[in-house]
Amino acid sequence: MITTQGLEKSYKDVKALRGLSFEAKDGEITGLLGPNGAGKTTCLRSIYGLIHADQGTAMVDQIDASQEPLEVRRRIGIFPDKFGLQERLTAREHIAYFAALHGLHGKTGAEAVQKVIDDLGMQDIADRKTAGFSQGQRMKVALGQAIVHQPQNLILDEPSRGLDVMSTRILRELLYRLREQGRCILFSSHVMQEVAALCDRVVIMVAGQVVAEGTPQELCERTGQSSFEEAFVQLIGTEEGIML
Amino acid sequence: MKSLFFTIWRKEMLDAIRDRRSLMAAMSYAFFGPVLMAVAFMAIINDAVSESDVYVNIEGAEHAPAFVDFLNSRRVFAGTEENKARDIDVIIPDDYQAKLARAEMIEIIVRADYSVRSDSSQRNRVESAIREYSSTIAAQRLTLRGVSAEVIRPLVVDKQDTATKESRAALILGTVMVFVLMAIFFSGMNVAIDTSAGERERNSLEFLLAQPIPTHWLVMAKAGAAATFAFVGAVLSILMIPLVFVFVPLEKLGIEFSLSAASQVQMIVTLIPLALLASILQLFVSFRAKSFKEAQTYISLVMFIPVAVIFGIEFSRVEHPLLSVLPVTSQHQVLLNTIGGQAINWLHVGAGALVTLALTALLVWVVTRMLKSEKVIFGL
Repeated sequence: MITTQGLEKSYKDVKALRGLSFEAKDGEITGLLGPNGAGKTTCLRSIYGLIHADQGTAMVDQIDASQEPLEVRRRIGIFPDKFGLQERLTAREHIAYFAALHGLHGKTGAEAVQKVIDDLGMQDIADRKTAGFSQGQRMKVALGQAIVHQPQNLILDEPSRGLDVMSTRILRELLYRLREQGRCILFSSHVMQEVAALCDRVVIMVAGQVVAEGTPQELCERTGQSSFEEAFVQLIGTEEGIML
Repeated sequence: MKSLFFTIWRKEMLDAIRDRRSLMAAMSYAFFGPVLMAVAFMAIINDAVSESDVYVNIEGAEHAPAFVDFLNSRRVFAGTEENKARDIDVIIPDDYQAKLARAEMIEIIVRADYSVRSDSSQRNRVESAIREYSSTIAAQRLTLRGVSAEVIRPLVVDKQDTATKESRAALILGTVMVFVLMAIFFSGMNVAIDTSAGERERNSLEFLLAQPIPTHWLVMAKAGAAATFAFVGAVLSILMIPLVFVFVPLEKLGIEFSLSAASQVQMIVTLIPLALLASILQLFVSFRAKSFKEAQTYISLVMFIPVAVIFGIEFSRVEHPLLSVLPVTSQHQVLLNTIGGQAINWLHVGAGALVTLALTALLVWVVTRMLKSEKVIFGL
């Protein structure tokens, strides 16, 4: 479970977060939806403790990232804003490296890696060096390294950007499977259709604040709009974020 | 925690070893340094030692056959078809015999471009042959007049060389040690950049830092991988020295050179702390850079400092008590003393190692702090 409470963060002249509070429950896919520059990445980074909020707390399973960052990081899998691969390693070595960083060595590690490779259907690329991988193949490796230690919480920053239909399907099925296992999934996106299709709950944020929270259905009802798209536009006050 | 260190270290090593091009670049430095020096020495020694014939243009040789004979006995000859004369003219005046008979001063002109360095030893040979002939004539004239030739030689220099064979070797081979020290700073450089600025450029730094790793272990493992390369480079160049110097005729200079396995081990052990310091210094610099290229620029600027220090000390031979405990200079002294066969002050060696390690620890702390700052992580 991931909760944030009154997160505030400013950079030099920009206030990125202005008292952001929301909750992502176990067994649900929570979408963090907002236009570009709404503060989504800043929010996610402060959850895993790479950014220190000026005010407020971000908790994962009731543990504060600013107090015990290592404990938090053991409980989360991350698909970051920028994911670069170690191009001289094979996909398998790559995932095994991060498994080892989570304490999965030797036989246990190899098994965990094999499971992820099977889950993501990447047997054909597992033993190739990652240099020259396509965007979809790179995404699979990045997902693999994020979930190899079977984290209870998964944080994905715009996971679907640049993916083709097949890769998007693999991602969606993976997320559904993890949800069934009772894990907490939080992902950010600026693409409304994707969020509407995938998420159990949506947190809409604009300019560092939550403007609405609920199921897509609830949000439509609350705004009196028939489609989620109209509801979204009304909530954020602009048409940004509707473009695919 | 130890397994974390080895996990990261092993991955960085694997990564670096697979990067063939930078691996070759790093190791070729360690390899070619000593080879380059050996070749240079060979050229210098041949030039300095060989009493080869000197061919010059002699004008007016017919006026002074005895003088020319003397020059020939000193292996200074007139140039011929097959042995082209150098651009050195020795001009004997027409009135040579007349002036010689009247015991007047005779001007022998040696005309050459004195800025041509390659001819300098030949010019010296010609001049000293002329001087020698001149003093021979002077001595004969005095003897004819019943004066002892010793009258015009009130002071005589009696050269007594106290240099041992080892100390003479140290003078020359000290230059080689410069290359060993530089190998430390250059062999690990690419790995240090790749593992820091390269990681940022590949966009893999954020994910790595979001793993449950205490940052100081991450820093130490990365520095450890770079230091391993720096160390291997230095070891390679130390092992190369006796191999390549077999081919250099050092004995012609009266230099006896031997580097026992024991002194090689001694040098290698001395260099371990320096390898660690060099690598963490490189990490410190390149974590501040946004890209591989930027890091290379910064590092070459920073690496200029130890190189300047090494060269400065090597050529000026400054001595100061502090130098024997400071990083780089203390290790340099150990290398020099080892090769010169002098006693090693182990207290100084220990102090030098401690200071180097303390500085390394300080830099680990600084880099760890840097990696906890958002500004550095995201390059804001």
